[in-house]
Amino acid sequence: MSKVGESDLYGTNFSIESMKVIAESIGIGNLQDEAAKDLAEDISFRLKHIIQDAAKFMNHAKRVKLLQSDVDSALKVRNIEPQYGFHSKEPLPFRFASGGGRELHFIEEKEVDLGELLTNLSPKAPLEVTLRPHWLFIDGIQPTIPENPPPVAKNVQKLESVDPINKKPMKETSGKPSTGKQKLKNVETVQIKQLATHELSVEQQLYYKEITEACVGSDEARRAEALQSLSSDPGLHEMLPRMCTFIIEGVRVNVVQNNLALLIYLMRMVKALLDNQSLYLEKYLHELIPSVTTCIVSKQLCMRPELDNHWALRDFASRLMSQICKNFNTSTNNIQTRITRMFTNALQQCDKIPLSSLYGALQGLSELGTEVTRIFILPRLKSIGARIEGQLEGNLISNADRTAAGHIKQLVIKIMAPIIKSVKNPPDNVEEYKQDYGYLGISLHAAVVKARTQLTPITSLPTVSNVTNTTTPSSSVSQIINRPLGSTGIIQQNNQPNRTIVMSTQQQQRIAVQQNSQQKVVFMPQRSQTTNVSSQGNSSNTTVVKLVSTGQTLNQNKFIQSTSQKLVVMSSNQSYLNQQQLQTQKSIDDFTDID
Amino acid sequence: MSNGLDKNQLVAVLQVLKKYNLKSTEEQLRKEASLTEDVNQDSDVSSVLTGYKSDGDPETYEGSYIELKQFVENSLDIYKHELGMILYPVLVHMYLELVYNGHTDKAISLMEKFGPEQDSYYQDDLKKLAMVTRRDHMNGNELTDTFKSNQFIIRMSRDTLSLLKRHVNDKKASVLLNIVQEHLYFDMYEGVARNKRQIEATSGAVGGEAKRQDNKAKVYYGIPKAPDIQILSAPVEDEEEASEQDNPDKPKKKKSKKDPLLSKKTKSDPNAPPPDRIPVPDLKDNDKIEQLKARREASKRTNLGPENSPSCCCYTLLNSNYTICCAEITEDSSMLAVGFNDSIIKVFTLVPQKLKTMKSADKLQEVNCDVEDVLVRMMDERSGESSRSLCGHSGPVYSVSFSPDRTLLLSCSEDTTIRLWSLQIWTCLVVYKGHMFPVWDVKFSPLGYYFASSSYDRTARLWATDHFQPLRIFGGHFSDVDCIQFHPNSNYIATGSSDRRVCLWDITTGNHVRLMTGHKQPIQALAFSVCGRFLASAGTDCRVLIWDLSHGHLVAELTGHEKTILCLAFSRCGNILVSGGLDCSLKLWNFTKLTEEISSEDVNISHNPDVKTGDEYLLRTFETKHSPLISLHFTRRNLMLAVAVFDAISN
Repeated sequence: MSKVGESDLYGTNFSIESMKVIAESIGIGNLQDEAAKDLAEDISFRLKHIIQDAAKFMNHAKRVKLLQSDVDSALKVRNIEPQYGFHSKEPLPFRFASGGGRELHFIEEKEVDLGELLTNLSPKAPLEVTLRPHWLFIDGIQPTIPENPPPVAKNVQKLESVDPINKKPMKETSGKPSTGKQKLKNVETVQIKQLATHELSVEQQLYYKEITEACVGSDEARRAEALQSLSSDPGLHEMLPRMCTFIIEGVRVNVVQNNLALLIYLMRMVKALLDNQSLYLEKYLHELIPSVTTCIVSKQLCMRPELDNHWALRDFASRLMSQICKNFNTSTNNIQTRITRMFTNALQQCDKIPLSSLYGALQGLSELGTEVTRIFILPRLKSIGARIEGQLEGNLISNADRTAAGHIKQLVIKIMAPIIKSVKNPPDNVEEYKQDYGYLGISLHAAVVKARTQLTPITSLPTVSNVTNTTTPSSSVSQIINRPLGSTGIIQQNNQPNRTIVMSTQQQQRIAVQQNSQQKVVFMPQRSQTTNVSSQGNSSNTTVVKLVSTGQTLNQNKFIQSTSQKLVVMSSNQSYLNQQQLQTQKSIDDFTDID
Repeated sequence: MSNGLDKNQLVAVLQVLKKYNLKSTEEQLRKEASLTEDVNQDSDVSSVLTGYKSDGDPETYEGSYIELKQFVENSLDIYKHELGMILYPVLVHMYLELVYNGHTDKAISLMEKFGPEQDSYYQDDLKKLAMVTRRDHMNGNELTDTFKSNQFIIRMSRDTLSLLKRHVNDKKASVLLNIVQEHLYFDMYEGVARNKRQIEATSGAVGGEAKRQDNKAKVYYGIPKAPDIQILSAPVEDEEEASEQDNPDKPKKKKSKKDPLLSKKTKSDPNAPPPDRIPVPDLKDNDKIEQLKARREASKRTNLGPENSPSCCCYTLLNSNYTICCAEITEDSSMLAVGFNDSIIKVFTLVPQKLKTMKSADKLQEVNCDVEDVLVRMMDERSGESSRSLCGHSGPVYSVSFSPDRTLLLSCSEDTTIRLWSLQIWTCLVVYKGHMFPVWDVKFSPLGYYFASSSYDRTARLWATDHFQPLRIFGGHFSDVDCIQFHPNSNYIATGSSDRRVCLWDITTGNHVRLMTGHKQPIQALAFSVCGRFLASAGTDCRVLIWDLSHGHLVAELTGHEKTILCLAFSRCGNILVSGGLDCSLKLWNFTKLTEEISSEDVNISHNPDVKTGDEYLLRTFETKHSPLISLHFTRRNLMLAVAVFDAISN
């Protein structure tokens, strides 16, 4: 059927062909053209009438979507037997297909596995309708609670930031009716450019104080709550400039003081703000990006670089940066390009910058995607190799530098092996690798060869996880799998709501925090001591490949098997749980979380 | 009229009599008309009932329409718009005549050529008409029947009308002449021809505008003074006070306060109906206590206004995707009833008191009937629940309504029945079967006892709770009656229909006393102002229209909503009108300002006031979170309550 134009009074009718097909389906083989034409006309007329009536039932049920029950009612009114057996609680999702000059709308009919139906004898009970009373407005002021829409919609926030004149005077946004006095003013003046005021109410000030204290305090449970609030509450936009200032100032001070823990807390605040759907963060990116960058490439982020795990912070901040690029990159601001250029500039002078900064730049680039990695890191592998060769092979080098070099090597191998594998064709020649990639050539060669031989598990694993949870971005899957053994891991599942990332610098081996239903698990093993770094670096690739096979020391192997497998399954498990068991919770959460 | 025509009609009547097997009447008529010969078969009833006998040349239709159009376009500017009004009905009737006489191709080409250039608010109807392409499609078609059997009413100034008549007669266009004579009714008035805006304000309804005659009857729109409860119920009040003995100062204060309150109400409204105009059962003691309580509450009311914004508590219904059809809150704001698509009714309590059921029969015998709190004692204390379901309907429940004393609940459904439920024993008491088609709306009278319903069958009906049959049937709408509302003085009911007309009916006579046109789409919500003089109506056309019932004029048009408006409510003080609907927004309108401006104008029946529009009446807009509003209510103290349905699917 073709699309109906606005002014098309006659709409569409059934075609003669349709009539014939329908006739055939009920066993009438040779329908005359004349008969088919008459039938088509008549049936079109009757159908239109029934639809017209069904719309009445839809209107009275206060809906905007026509359901099958409406059509049934319309048939009943005309004394026609309703169509039994066509019931769905939701409007039919029409799919659209076109091809060969034809357009078609159809309903996707899924095959029902009867066996499964029979085994699952207890069907889901429909959810109870619940009544939730809440204040819509009090004395004309709408409170910012999750039940109400965010006070300033995202597009309005955007408009305000682009053009401050558009910002409504405070009077209106805070909900007080304008008085006559105000009006007079507007009449007299030619044009007053409204100042964008950011006054906070007492409650908001209290909230700000509580949140900031909780975010950087020592109570982990409170922090989780605060971050949850930051990532889901609507109506934070008025506090946003202050939150940003808090983060920026915090980073500035704590970088100088090398306070790793606080930097991590602040980055988690950034993460929470990024996750909040109701905020228009574009306005503050110019302040947040430098802070995040600092946490990626700063020379020193902790008191004892040889012991503390500042690498985790760099990894985490890099992921934040990539999230920023993904969310906010437009053709006008070119965030991704500018950030890529910044990291690349650092790489170009890789002889001069500290090793920790080099690590940060590499990590930052690698998080931006394989294409970026291939174009900007691949040609520089030789010079990077040269740089770390001195640190790893020399004797008069400090422990910290040796660790850093080890990390860089490990990182490079991890990110480059899959790329080189796709760039180069087998057979792999060690000499060629040496020539192309210098010092790193040998290790890369080993990693690539290993990757090639273990081709099957690599390809099968991501597909498996994709099947179980299609929404998981493949990068996060590989993150989970590629996690170097024994290194600090912040395991993220980007598709999960209510994510809390728990990092710790305490001397615990692993912290597994599992909070209620929707939480994910975060494993935080402390980095093991530096002596076997290089061997672990080498084996990191084998970890990727050999998830299922052995090849590690017994204890570690056990750990990695359990964690990574569990995690891959978990992501699917959680979504399964969400759908199956937490439905009540979900619907209510929808109301309070999503807007 | 010629004899031949008469004969034809008689034959048709005879046929009808025969069809319904009314033999003796048939014979009687046959004798009287001296029609002894057998009825010839081809003069069937429908051909007599329809006016489309003219066998004009199908080729001339298009030409005469173009001629008429040119005449309208070339006429003087002051007459142009009034003359333009006849284009639509002429086109419709030409189309139907062509279709009726079998010239489908000509009809379709006429419609395709001139249909789209008609006013936008006629397009929906034209689409419906365009579906009719054959004579048998016209059988039982609501819209074509309306056009066939009713004259399209056009209001015209004397000058315009004479201009038109001259043109029609000059041209001798038989097609046009026939249509104008048979199917159009000109309601002529003295004075200047109306301009485009004035015409647009009142046009749009099926069947044209309202005649002036329709709005001439006197309407007692005032509110009669409240019956003097104080004297009647003096002992009752003492008891009340006795129960509040713990605070001895309080009763005294109240007494002094109450007296001026009651004396204020004794001022009688000149427009109020006599108190005995409609019979109402006497108030029971319990009702009197209730009314006193209500007045006491009302005395604590805050007056709202532009300077004094209301507060609103919203009841959002969750997990209810597309299953909720209606909701209503009791007058005292203690209960909420919700009607569902799956034929269930749920009653929620909104106060700490739970919903209790009555004790079983043998336990009721133990209750002492003489104690004054017998009503409390007969309820089973342990049966309290926060929500209860009522099952009985077999189709979607489209409306629910509480009785003023909160012991009864009415519901109406797609299964064509109206049910009366007891909220004490939580069962169905009566099933009212009268409507033959789905019942869209039902409302209890503010005094109780009476209730009114409206239906798909194009009628509204008045019922009393103790009668199985309706007391009055209000017929006259051309399409479904979608909503119904009692006037606060219970003497009138207003109906809103899919024929885009609002009608006010007198329940004592059953006649319509006001007919108001101006909506361009079906009407979904009605509300009377507190003073009783104004009626607000709103619907699919996303506008709230305010009507002055004293003369039936449209006085204001409030625009701003983006989707269908589903509910309207006046604050108890009458200062604010609230509207809410599918666009998930709630709009507060300054009604005081509107009434002040209207009362300052001099209005009489023939002088149409200018329709007020504009944003100046809009006080505030509030959004809900993806939750269309389906019901609005003000508590006695003027707190606003809204009922919304959270839409989890489309967000």
